[in-house]
Amino acid sequence: MLKPGDPAPPFDLECALDGRTARLSLAKIPSELVLLFFYPRDFSFICPTEVTGFNNALKEFAAEETSIVGVSIDNVDSHLRWARELGRIGYPMLADPDGSLARAYGVFDENEKVALRATFILDRKRKVAFAASCPLNIGRSVSETLRIVRALRTGRLCPADWTPGVECGPTDREF
Amino acid sequence: MATVDPAAKRRLFERLSSIREIVFGVQDGVLTTAGVLCGLSGAVSQHSQVTLAALASTAAGALSMAAGAYLGARAETEVLRAELDLVRADAAEKPYTVQEGLLDELCKEGLSREAGYRVVRLLSTSPKALESTAEAKMFGFSGPTFGRPALDGVVMGIAFLVGALVPLLPYMLITVPRYDLGGALAATALTLFGVGYFEGWLAHRRDRWRSGVRFLAIAMSAAAAGYLIGLAISPLGATAG
Repeated sequence: MLKPGDPAPPFDLECALDGRTARLSLAKIPSELVLLFFYPRDFSFICPTEVTGFNNALKEFAAEETSIVGVSIDNVDSHLRWARELGRIGYPMLADPDGSLARAYGVFDENEKVALRATFILDRKRKVAFAASCPLNIGRSVSETLRIVRALRTGRLCPADWTPGVECGPTDREF
Repeated sequence: MATVDPAAKRRLFERLSSIREIVFGVQDGVLTTAGVLCGLSGAVSQHSQVTLAALASTAAGALSMAAGAYLGARAETEVLRAELDLVRADAAEKPYTVQEGLLDELCKEGLSREAGYRVVRLLSTSPKALESTAEAKMFGFSGPTFGRPALDGVVMGIAFLVGALVPLLPYMLITVPRYDLGGALAATALTLFGVGYFEGWLAHRRDRWRSGVRFLAIAMSAAAAGYLIGLAISPLGATAG
Protein backbone atom coordinates (compact mmCIF):
# COMPACT_ATOMS: atom_id res chain seq x y z
CA MET A 1 0.00 0.00 0.00
CA LEU A 2 1.29 3.44 -0.90
CA LYS A 3 2.30 5.69 1.97
CA PRO A 4 2.44 9.48 2.45
CA GLY A 5 5.06 11.00 0.17
CA ASP A 6 4.77 8.37 -2.57
CA PRO A 7 3.85 9.68 -6.01
CA ALA A 8 0.26 8.76 -6.85
CA PRO A 9 0.00 6.37 -9.81
CA PRO A 10 -1.85 8.19 -12.60
CA PHE A 11 -5.07 6.85 -14.06
CA ASP A 12 -7.23 7.43 -17.07
CA LEU A 13 -10.31 5.23 -16.71
CA GLU A 14 -13.99 5.04 -17.56
CA CYS A 15 -16.33 6.19 -14.86
CA ALA A 16 -19.98 6.70 -14.07
CA LEU A 17 -20.88 10.32 -13.50
CA ASP A 18 -24.28 11.96 -13.37
CA GLY A 19 -25.99 8.91 -14.81
CA ARG A 20 -23.77 8.48 -17.84
CA THR A 21 -20.43 7.01 -18.84
CA ALA A 22 -17.46 9.39 -18.86
CA ARG A 23 -13.70 9.22 -18.73
CA LEU A 24 -11.56 10.56 -15.94
CA SER A 25 -7.86 11.20 -15.80
CA LEU A 26 -6.01 12.10 -12.62
CA ALA A 27 -3.99 14.63 -14.56
CA LYS A 28 -7.14 16.52 -15.51
CA ILE A 29 -8.56 16.90 -12.02
CA PRO A 30 -8.04 20.57 -11.22
CA SER A 31 -8.77 20.64 -7.49
CA GLU A 32 -6.09 21.18 -4.86
CA LEU A 33 -6.66 17.79 -3.22
CA VAL A 34 -8.08 14.54 -4.53
CA LEU A 35 -9.83 12.11 -2.25
CA LEU A 36 -9.51 8.71 -3.89
CA PHE A 37 -11.43 6.03 -2.06
CA PHE A 38 -11.44 2.37 -3.00
CA TYR A 39 -14.38 0.19 -1.97
CA PRO A 40 -14.91 -3.55 -2.50
CA ARG A 41 -18.08 -3.92 -4.55
CA ASP A 42 -21.18 -2.28 -5.92
CA PHE A 43 -24.40 -3.80 -4.64
CA SER A 44 -23.20 -4.55 -1.16
CA PHE A 45 -24.40 -3.55 2.28
CA ILE A 46 -21.51 -1.57 3.75
CA CYS A 47 -20.19 0.22 0.70
CA PRO A 48 -23.43 2.18 0.09
CA THR A 49 -23.13 3.85 3.48
CA GLU A 50 -19.72 5.14 2.43
CA VAL A 51 -20.68 5.97 -1.15
CA THR A 52 -23.72 7.95 -0.02
CA GLY A 53 -21.84 9.33 2.99
CA PHE A 54 -19.19 10.89 0.76
CA ASN A 55 -21.93 12.06 -1.59
CA ASN A 56 -23.77 13.78 1.25
CA ALA A 57 -20.54 15.55 2.22
CA LEU A 58 -19.70 16.51 -1.35
CA LYS A 59 -20.23 20.25 -0.78
CA GLU A 60 -18.07 20.25 2.33
CA PHE A 61 -15.24 18.54 0.47
CA ALA A 62 -15.70 20.92 -2.47
CA ALA A 63 -15.42 23.83 -0.04
CA GLU A 64 -12.02 22.41 0.88
CA GLU A 65 -10.95 22.31 -2.78
CA THR A 66 -11.13 18.54 -2.73
CA SER A 67 -12.49 16.30 -5.48
CA ILE A 68 -13.91 12.95 -4.54
CA VAL A 69 -13.32 9.87 -6.71
CA GLY A 70 -14.68 6.43 -5.86
CA VAL A 71 -13.15 3.24 -7.29
CA SER A 72 -14.14 -0.40 -7.32
CA ILE A 73 -13.55 -3.41 -9.55
CA ASP A 74 -17.07 -3.18 -10.97
CA ASN A 75 -17.62 -2.05 -14.54
CA VAL A 76 -19.23 1.22 -15.57
CA ASP A 77 -22.65 -0.38 -16.23
CA SER A 78 -22.68 -1.71 -12.71
CA HIS A 79 -21.64 1.70 -11.35
CA LEU A 80 -24.45 3.37 -13.32
CA ARG A 81 -27.07 0.95 -11.96
CA TRP A 82 -25.62 1.16 -8.47
CA ALA A 83 -25.61 4.96 -8.52
CA ARG A 84 -29.23 4.90 -9.74
CA GLU A 85 -30.06 2.53 -6.88
CA LEU A 86 -28.51 4.86 -4.32
CA GLY A 87 -29.87 8.07 -5.77
CA ARG A 88 -27.79 10.62 -7.58
CA ILE A 89 -24.07 10.31 -6.86
CA GLY A 90 -22.35 13.57 -7.62
CA TYR A 91 -18.77 12.37 -7.96
CA PRO A 92 -17.17 10.03 -10.49
CA MET A 93 -17.15 6.30 -9.76
CA LEU A 94 -14.15 4.83 -11.55
CA ALA A 95 -14.35 1.37 -13.12
CA ASP A 96 -11.29 -0.73 -12.36
CA PRO A 97 -12.52 -4.16 -13.51
CA ASP A 98 -9.09 -5.75 -13.74
CA GLY A 99 -7.99 -4.24 -10.43
CA SER A 100 -4.93 -2.62 -12.04
CA LEU A 101 -5.46 0.71 -10.30
CA ALA A 102 -6.04 -0.99 -6.95
CA ARG A 103 -2.84 -2.97 -7.50
CA ALA A 104 -0.93 0.20 -8.42
CA TYR A 105 -1.99 1.69 -5.09
CA GLY A 106 -1.21 -1.59 -3.33
CA VAL A 107 -4.75 -2.14 -2.10
CA PHE A 108 -5.91 -5.15 -4.12
CA ASP A 109 -6.98 -8.12 -2.02
CA GLU A 110 -5.80 -11.09 -4.10
CA ASN A 111 -7.86 -13.56 -2.08
CA GLU A 112 -11.17 -11.74 -2.33
CA LYS A 113 -10.36 -10.27 -5.77
CA VAL A 114 -11.61 -6.86 -4.68
CA ALA A 115 -10.05 -3.58 -3.62
CA LEU A 116 -9.51 -3.02 0.07
CA ARG A 117 -11.50 -0.30 1.77
CA ALA A 118 -8.66 2.16 1.31
CA THR A 119 -8.58 5.96 1.31
CA PHE A 120 -5.92 8.17 -0.27
CA ILE A 121 -5.74 11.91 -0.20
CA LEU A 122 -3.51 13.25 -2.95
CA ASP A 123 -1.93 16.67 -2.67
CA ARG A 124 -1.49 19.37 -5.26
CA LYS A 125 1.63 17.64 -6.65
CA ARG A 126 -0.38 14.42 -6.76
CA LYS A 127 1.68 12.78 -4.14
CA VAL A 128 0.04 10.74 -1.43
CA ALA A 129 -0.63 13.02 1.53
CA PHE A 130 -2.69 10.55 3.50
CA ALA A 131 -3.31 6.81 3.22
CA ALA A 132 -5.43 4.48 5.34
CA SER A 133 -7.34 1.24 4.93
CA CYS A 134 -10.13 -0.41 6.87
CA PRO A 135 -11.08 -4.09 7.08
CA LEU A 136 -13.50 -5.15 4.35
CA ASN A 137 -16.38 -5.38 6.80
CA ILE A 138 -15.93 -2.01 8.47
CA GLY A 139 -16.96 1.23 6.83
CA ARG A 140 -14.72 4.25 7.09
CA SER A 141 -15.65 7.57 8.65
CA VAL A 142 -16.57 10.35 6.27
CA SER A 143 -16.30 12.99 8.99
CA GLU A 144 -12.82 11.80 9.96
CA THR A 145 -11.75 11.93 6.31
CA LEU A 146 -13.10 15.48 6.10
CA ARG A 147 -11.25 16.39 9.29
CA ILE A 148 -8.00 15.14 7.76
CA VAL A 149 -8.62 17.07 4.54
CA ARG A 150 -9.12 20.23 6.59
CA ALA A 151 -6.04 19.50 8.65
CA LEU A 152 -3.95 18.95 5.52
CA ARG A 153 -5.18 22.22 4.07
CA THR A 154 -3.92 24.18 7.06
CA GLY A 155 -0.38 23.29 5.98
CA ARG A 156 0.51 23.27 9.66
CA LEU A 157 1.25 20.73 12.34
CA CYS A 158 -2.08 19.60 13.75
CA PRO A 159 -2.27 17.90 17.14
CA ALA A 160 -4.27 14.78 17.88
CA ASP A 161 -8.02 15.17 17.38
CA TRP A 162 -7.45 18.55 15.82
CA THR A 163 -10.56 20.25 14.53
CA PRO A 164 -10.96 23.61 12.76
CA GLY A 165 -10.55 26.44 15.22
CA VAL A 166 -8.04 24.62 17.38
CA GLU A 167 -4.55 26.10 17.41
CA CYS A 168 -2.05 24.67 14.89
CA GLY A 169 1.74 24.37 14.84
CA PRO A 170 4.22 26.17 12.53
CA THR A 171 3.35 27.02 8.93
CA ASP A 172 6.78 26.46 7.35
CA ARG A 173 6.02 22.91 6.41
CA GLU A 174 4.57 21.29 3.33
CA PHE A 175 2.26 18.36 3.42
CA MET B 1 -54.39 -25.16 -9.19
CA ALA B 2 -52.70 -27.86 -7.14
CA THR B 3 -50.27 -26.45 -4.60
CA VAL B 4 -47.92 -27.97 -2.07
CA ASP B 5 -49.23 -27.88 1.48
CA PRO B 6 -46.15 -26.57 3.34
CA ALA B 7 -47.43 -27.62 6.77
CA ALA B 8 -48.07 -31.20 5.60
CA LYS B 9 -44.71 -31.36 3.86
CA ARG B 10 -43.02 -30.02 6.96
CA ARG B 11 -44.66 -32.69 9.12
CA LEU B 12 -43.59 -35.33 6.58
CA PHE B 13 -39.99 -34.09 6.64
CA GLU B 14 -40.00 -34.10 10.44
CA ARG B 15 -41.26 -37.69 10.47
CA LEU B 16 -38.72 -38.69 7.84
CA SER B 17 -35.95 -37.15 9.92
CA SER B 18 -36.37 -40.17 12.26
CA ILE B 19 -35.49 -42.50 9.40
CA ARG B 20 -31.82 -42.28 10.39
CA GLU B 21 -32.56 -43.64 13.87
CA ILE B 22 -34.92 -46.30 12.49
CA VAL B 23 -32.54 -47.60 9.82
CA PHE B 24 -29.51 -47.36 12.10
CA GLY B 25 -31.33 -49.02 15.01
CA VAL B 26 -32.87 -51.87 13.00
CA GLN B 27 -29.67 -52.53 11.08
CA ASP B 28 -27.57 -52.47 14.22
CA GLY B 29 -30.04 -54.64 16.13
CA VAL B 30 -30.20 -57.22 13.36
CA LEU B 31 -26.47 -57.25 12.69
CA THR B 32 -25.34 -57.20 16.30
CA THR B 33 -27.69 -59.99 17.34
CA ALA B 34 -26.97 -62.08 14.26
CA GLY B 35 -23.27 -61.55 14.92
CA VAL B 36 -23.68 -62.55 18.57
CA LEU B 37 -25.65 -65.66 17.59
CA CYS B 38 -23.07 -66.64 14.97
CA GLY B 39 -20.14 -65.97 17.27
CA LEU B 40 -21.62 -67.80 20.25
CA SER B 41 -22.80 -70.70 18.10
CA GLY B 42 -19.22 -71.12 16.99
CA ALA B 43 -17.91 -70.94 20.55
CA VAL B 44 -20.68 -72.41 22.75
CA SER B 45 -22.46 -75.69 22.08
CA GLN B 46 -25.58 -75.27 24.29
CA HIS B 47 -28.57 -73.64 22.55
CA SER B 48 -30.03 -72.21 25.77
CA GLN B 49 -26.76 -70.51 26.72
CA VAL B 50 -26.53 -68.89 23.33
CA THR B 51 -30.16 -67.71 23.60
CA LEU B 52 -29.63 -66.28 27.06
CA ALA B 53 -26.48 -64.46 26.05
CA ALA B 54 -28.18 -63.07 22.93
CA LEU B 55 -31.16 -61.86 25.01
CA ALA B 56 -28.82 -60.12 27.43
CA SER B 57 -26.92 -58.62 24.53
CA THR B 58 -30.20 -57.41 22.99
CA ALA B 59 -31.38 -55.73 26.18
CA ALA B 60 -28.04 -54.10 26.79
CA GLY B 61 -27.76 -53.08 23.15
CA ALA B 62 -31.20 -51.51 23.02
CA LEU B 63 -30.62 -49.50 26.20
CA SER B 64 -27.14 -48.51 25.12
CA MET B 65 -28.29 -47.41 21.67
CA ALA B 66 -31.23 -45.45 23.13
CA ALA B 67 -28.99 -43.72 25.64
CA GLY B 68 -26.35 -43.07 22.99
CA ALA B 69 -28.87 -41.58 20.58
CA TYR B 70 -30.37 -39.43 23.34
CA LEU B 71 -27.03 -38.16 24.61
CA GLY B 72 -25.67 -37.66 21.11
CA ALA B 73 -28.70 -35.68 19.94
CA ARG B 74 -28.74 -33.67 23.16
CA ALA B 75 -25.05 -32.79 22.90
CA GLU B 76 -25.41 -31.89 19.25
CA THR B 77 -28.44 -29.73 19.92
CA GLU B 78 -26.82 -27.92 22.84
CA VAL B 79 -23.61 -27.23 20.95
CA LEU B 80 -25.43 -26.07 17.82
CA ARG B 81 -27.83 -23.87 19.79
CA ALA B 82 -24.93 -22.28 21.68
CA GLU B 83 -23.15 -21.55 18.41
CA LEU B 84 -26.34 -20.23 16.86
CA ASP B 85 -26.89 -17.92 19.82
CA LEU B 86 -23.41 -16.49 19.30
CA VAL B 87 -24.08 -16.02 15.59
CA ARG B 88 -27.42 -14.31 16.35
CA ALA B 89 -25.87 -11.99 18.91
CA ASP B 90 -23.17 -11.06 16.43
CA ALA B 91 -25.75 -10.56 13.68
CA ALA B 92 -27.88 -8.33 15.91
CA GLU B 93 -24.85 -6.15 16.52
CA LYS B 94 -23.65 -6.12 12.91
CA PRO B 95 -26.60 -6.87 10.62
CA TYR B 96 -24.62 -5.94 7.51
CA THR B 97 -22.35 -8.94 8.02
CA VAL B 98 -25.42 -11.17 7.74
CA GLN B 99 -26.58 -9.29 4.67
CA GLU B 100 -23.17 -9.56 3.04
CA GLY B 101 -22.85 -13.23 3.95
CA LEU B 102 -26.27 -14.07 2.55
CA LEU B 103 -25.54 -12.05 -0.57
CA ASP B 104 -22.32 -14.03 -1.13
CA GLU B 105 -24.20 -17.31 -0.74
CA LEU B 106 -26.89 -16.27 -3.21
CA CYS B 107 -24.22 -15.22 -5.70
CA LYS B 108 -22.53 -18.63 -5.29
CA GLU B 109 -25.85 -20.22 -6.17
CA GLY B 110 -26.00 -18.35 -9.46
CA LEU B 111 -27.78 -15.07 -8.77
CA SER B 112 -26.10 -11.97 -10.15
CA ARG B 113 -24.75 -9.63 -7.47
CA GLU B 114 -27.38 -7.07 -8.36
CA ALA B 115 -30.24 -9.60 -8.17
CA GLY B 116 -28.86 -11.05 -4.94
CA TYR B 117 -28.61 -7.58 -3.48
CA ARG B 118 -32.26 -6.90 -4.23
CA VAL B 119 -33.32 -10.23 -2.72
CA VAL B 120 -31.36 -9.54 0.48
CA ARG B 121 -32.71 -6.01 0.65
CA LEU B 122 -36.25 -7.30 0.38
CA LEU B 123 -35.57 -9.92 3.04
CA SER B 124 -34.07 -7.22 5.25
CA THR B 125 -37.49 -5.59 5.55
CA SER B 126 -38.33 -8.47 7.90
CA PRO B 127 -35.56 -9.21 10.42
CA LYS B 128 -37.07 -12.65 11.07
CA ALA B 129 -37.08 -13.57 7.39
CA LEU B 130 -33.52 -12.32 6.99
CA GLU B 131 -32.36 -14.26 10.05
CA SER B 132 -33.94 -17.58 9.12
CA THR B 133 -32.87 -17.36 5.45
CA ALA B 134 -29.34 -16.37 6.36
CA GLU B 135 -29.04 -19.17 8.90
CA ALA B 136 -30.27 -21.72 6.40
CA LYS B 137 -28.11 -20.47 3.52
CA MET B 138 -24.97 -19.53 5.40
CA PHE B 139 -24.81 -22.16 8.13
CA GLY B 140 -27.20 -24.89 7.00
CA PHE B 141 -29.34 -24.37 10.10
CA SER B 142 -33.04 -25.12 9.88
CA GLY B 143 -35.74 -26.52 12.12
CA PRO B 144 -34.95 -30.22 11.46
CA THR B 145 -31.23 -29.50 11.96
CA PHE B 146 -31.82 -29.80 15.69
CA GLY B 147 -32.46 -33.31 16.91
CA ARG B 148 -35.19 -34.24 19.35
CA PRO B 149 -33.12 -36.07 21.96
CA ALA B 150 -35.91 -37.93 23.79
CA LEU B 151 -37.69 -38.99 20.61
CA ASP B 152 -34.41 -39.95 18.94
CA GLY B 153 -33.49 -42.10 21.95
CA VAL B 154 -36.84 -43.88 22.10
CA VAL B 155 -36.97 -44.49 18.35
CA MET B 156 -33.41 -45.79 18.33
CA GLY B 157 -34.01 -48.15 21.28
CA ILE B 158 -37.22 -49.57 19.83
CA ALA B 159 -35.69 -49.90 16.37
CA PHE B 160 -32.75 -51.81 17.84
CA LEU B 161 -35.10 -54.05 19.78
CA VAL B 162 -37.22 -54.81 16.71
CA GLY B 163 -34.11 -55.48 14.68
CA ALA B 164 -32.67 -57.75 17.35
CA LEU B 165 -35.83 -59.84 17.55
CA VAL B 166 -35.57 -60.70 13.85
CA PRO B 167 -32.72 -63.21 14.20
CA LEU B 168 -33.47 -63.93 17.85
CA LEU B 169 -37.05 -65.21 17.48
CA PRO B 170 -36.29 -67.87 14.83
CA TYR B 171 -33.25 -68.93 16.83
CA MET B 172 -35.37 -69.33 19.97
CA LEU B 173 -38.20 -71.12 18.19
CA ILE B 174 -36.08 -73.52 16.17
CA THR B 175 -34.21 -75.79 18.54
CA VAL B 176 -32.69 -78.10 15.94
CA PRO B 177 -28.92 -77.52 15.79
CA ARG B 178 -27.72 -75.68 12.69
CA TYR B 179 -31.31 -75.04 11.58
CA ASP B 180 -31.63 -72.56 14.45
CA LEU B 181 -28.75 -70.49 13.18
CA GLY B 182 -29.86 -71.02 9.59
CA GLY B 183 -33.32 -69.71 10.42
CA ALA B 184 -31.86 -66.71 12.24
CA LEU B 185 -29.58 -65.89 9.33
CA ALA B 186 -32.37 -66.32 6.78
CA ALA B 187 -34.61 -63.94 8.75
CA THR B 188 -31.69 -61.57 9.11
CA ALA B 189 -30.97 -61.63 5.40
CA LEU B 190 -34.60 -61.13 4.50
CA THR B 191 -35.05 -58.25 6.95
CA LEU B 192 -31.90 -56.45 5.93
CA PHE B 193 -32.84 -56.80 2.30
CA GLY B 194 -36.29 -55.45 3.27
CA VAL B 195 -34.82 -52.49 5.19
CA GLY B 196 -32.61 -51.63 2.23
CA TYR B 197 -35.53 -51.97 -0.16
CA PHE B 198 -37.72 -49.82 2.11
CA GLU B 199 -35.06 -47.14 2.32
CA GLY B 200 -34.81 -47.18 -1.49
CA TRP B 201 -38.60 -46.86 -1.68
CA LEU B 202 -38.57 -43.87 0.68
CA ALA B 203 -35.83 -42.29 -1.42
CA HIS B 204 -37.94 -42.85 -4.56
CA ARG B 205 -35.18 -44.90 -6.14
CA ARG B 206 -35.89 -47.05 -9.16
CA ASP B 207 -33.29 -49.69 -8.28
CA ARG B 208 -34.65 -50.44 -4.82
CA TRP B 209 -33.39 -54.01 -5.02
CA ARG B 210 -29.86 -52.61 -5.17
CA SER B 211 -30.34 -50.93 -1.78
CA GLY B 212 -31.64 -54.23 -0.44
CA VAL B 213 -28.66 -56.15 -1.81
CA ARG B 214 -26.25 -53.61 -0.32
CA PHE B 215 -27.74 -54.08 3.13
CA LEU B 216 -27.68 -57.82 2.65
CA ALA B 217 -24.03 -57.81 1.58
CA ILE B 218 -23.04 -55.82 4.67
CA ALA B 219 -25.03 -58.16 6.91
CA MET B 220 -23.52 -61.29 5.46
CA SER B 221 -20.02 -59.85 5.75
CA ALA B 222 -20.56 -58.96 9.41
CA ALA B 223 -22.15 -62.30 10.21
CA ALA B 224 -19.38 -64.23 8.48
CA ALA B 225 -16.73 -62.20 10.25
CA GLY B 226 -18.46 -62.75 13.61
CA TYR B 227 -18.67 -66.48 13.03
CA LEU B 228 -15.00 -66.70 12.03
CA ILE B 229 -13.93 -64.70 15.09
CA GLY B 230 -16.02 -67.02 17.27
CA LEU B 231 -14.31 -70.02 15.75
CA ALA B 232 -10.92 -68.42 16.24
CA ILE B 233 -11.45 -67.67 19.95
CA SER B 234 -13.23 -70.93 20.84
CA PRO B 235 -9.90 -72.66 21.82
CA LEU B 236 -9.39 -69.86 24.38
CA GLY B 237 -12.74 -70.74 25.99
CA ALA B 238 -11.74 -74.40 26.17
CA THR B 239 -8.41 -73.48 27.79
CA ALA B 240 -10.09 -71.20 30.35
CA GLY B 241 -12.68 -73.84 31.25
